[in-house]
Amino acid sequence: MKLPIRFVLQLSLLAAVLSAPTPAGAIPAFARKYETSCLTCHVVYPRLNPFGEAFRRNGYRFPGVDSDAVKQATIVMSQEANKKTFPNSVWPSWIPASVPIAIGFNGQAFGYPDKNASVPRANNGAQFVLDDLVAEGHIWAGAAVDDTITLWGELTFSSSGVDVEHAQVLLNDLLGPKHLVNVVVGRGFPTLTSFGPHSSFLGDIRMTNVPVTGIYGLSTDPFTLVDNYNGAEVTGVVRGRVDYSAGVSTGKNTFATKFNSENWYAHAGFKLGGMRLDGEGSPGPANAMKPWAETAVTVDGFVYHSREYFPTPGVTPASPTGNSSLSAGGAIRGQLGSLELDLGGYDQKHDRATATLGSLHSDVEFAELSYVLFPWMVPAVRVERIGLRPSGAPDVYDVHIMPGIAFLLRANIKAVLVGNIETTHGFALDATGAPIPWMGGNADWGNFVMAPRATSAPTSSFGEFESIALFIAWAI
Amino acid sequence: MIRRLIARTVVASLCAAAAAPALAQTGTITGKVEATPPKYLAETVVYVKQAPGTFAPKTAAVDQKSLTFVPHVLVVTKGDTVKFLNHDNVAHNVYSPDVDAFNLGTFKQNEERTHAFTKEGPYSLLCSIHPEMLGYVFVNQNPYAAAVDAKGTFTIKDVPPGTYKLEVWNSHLKAPEKTVTVAAGQTVTESFALKR
Repeated sequence: MKLPIRFVLQLSLLAAVLSAPTPAGAIPAFARKYETSCLTCHVVYPRLNPFGEAFRRNGYRFPGVDSDAVKQATIVMSQEANKKTFPNSVWPSWIPASVPIAIGFNGQAFGYPDKNASVPRANNGAQFVLDDLVAEGHIWAGAAVDDTITLWGELTFSSSGVDVEHAQVLLNDLLGPKHLVNVVVGRGFPTLTSFGPHSSFLGDIRMTNVPVTGIYGLSTDPFTLVDNYNGAEVTGVVRGRVDYSAGVSTGKNTFATKFNSENWYAHAGFKLGGMRLDGEGSPGPANAMKPWAETAVTVDGFVYHSREYFPTPGVTPASPTGNSSLSAGGAIRGQLGSLELDLGGYDQKHDRATATLGSLHSDVEFAELSYVLFPWMVPAVRVERIGLRPSGAPDVYDVHIMPGIAFLLRANIKAVLVGNIETTHGFALDATGAPIPWMGGNADWGNFVMAPRATSAPTSSFGEFESIALFIAWAI
Repeated sequence: MIRRLIARTVVASLCAAAAAPALAQTGTITGKVEATPPKYLAETVVYVKQAPGTFAPKTAAVDQKSLTFVPHVLVVTKGDTVKFLNHDNVAHNVYSPDVDAFNLGTFKQNEERTHAFTKEGPYSLLCSIHPEMLGYVFVNQNPYAAAVDAKGTFTIKDVPPGTYKLEVWNSHLKAPEKTVTVAAGQTVTESFALKR
């Protein structure tokens, strides 16, 4: 079977664009606010250490009274004493004396040791690609207006334009004990695990995405679990050891008709050992030289219901077709000092997701084993699997293996060197029954990209050394 | 000429001799306050909680310059009057929601308002026109109180001999009170560690 090279290339690039949100969370605006090093919260950024995770869960606030830790000058909008004169005064608040923003850039380069691998095969036998060495610019904003309300935002600039990736107001400590009930409103990632979304040393996001309707060519902007959505979320930490979230979001709703997506999700997690999830009352790391290290196990689970819309195939003028999906899954992170095993997975059931609008089950599994050898060097290996079980067609799956090393050249400059190895056991099928390439993954530099060869059958099994990728990022 | 010089010397000596016992009848409390976090240190007053006697009312002043209350913390005694000045070229308002709340209305450059503080306690000073402005008047039962300096040190002079409760007030932090015994002509040293 002869595949149109252009088609393969387009899908590969689409996968690179769609499979993962961009890095966020590493934000030197916080370093300036507290006059503290990036390493207070990060290992190899944006990956967070236990304190950084607590800071994130607390709505970007230090344990205790956040303003006690703030060293950056502030301008008071209304004094604390005005609580006594409310409603005749505006409720007390402040703003940072300097604009609380940070900037950063990132991108990736690829080398292709095997010119017969999927991407070079579709790209004139390229041996390396530097097109995305500088792929994105970011402006982050993070600030507090008092001890309970914080703001978080991110603009991303790329060749495709400017995207508001995050714009959230975090209303913390609304009810009951501290950290119990918080509300987040705006655009951001849904909280589906106990850890931050950028919780991978080698990739970007912790949870591997599977853009099912993208794989089958139904949508150019397919729904995935982890992406930037408009929504509202209730989240909190109970007694320091249990965390939860529940929210509604628009999901992907880019079809011009703009139907209401009515997405909802919920998550709960539990941590045994190590620092409390909210970081309160921490005696500090057992080894002061290794603030990332702890002995702990964290277990969490989630459910997510989504509805997305895409143009009905073959219908002119375009009319929307809806696809509902229900996902359920969980993850376990075990930490033994500097050694960590992070694994999880989920099952996702779609009612209309194949090229012929048939139902489908997909399953995703991921595991990342890492060891913080030095505070600036983390060797790791990540394994991911995506399985598709469409109705009326063979079950297929693809396994992606990423061995690599994450480096900090300086506290705010990082590099990740990874190999991408992939083995497929079949392909999804288009409306004519022809095999089509894989998509998905956890990072722009670590995607599922296997494409069928000219001789491939729908259930062909083979492996490829896809690429060696170098990801570079800096933030200041 | 010589007689006049001798007479002045004698008078001066007699005056000094008369004053010496009065100074020797009081003592001094001094010391240092540390704060965690240190950024709140400037808003600290160390004071003798209760001291016997009656104290003649005095008048002190708080100015407003460059949209700032000067001094940031003023310590007065119950019954004292504070003049609030305005040396900015914009109008100000001074009010406090604390203890015995008051509002002095709006007053323009070079005008002043006065307020007599008849109840003890810390008063936040606010300006409704410039909500970022903040100052404090700390009203003590007695005059034996002092705001700390930039290094956290304090000195309370002319304290009659006796045993007292020595307390510290801070806008955000706390520290346990201490008991001090003041002896005539002596200086007693105490320190406080403020925290949440």
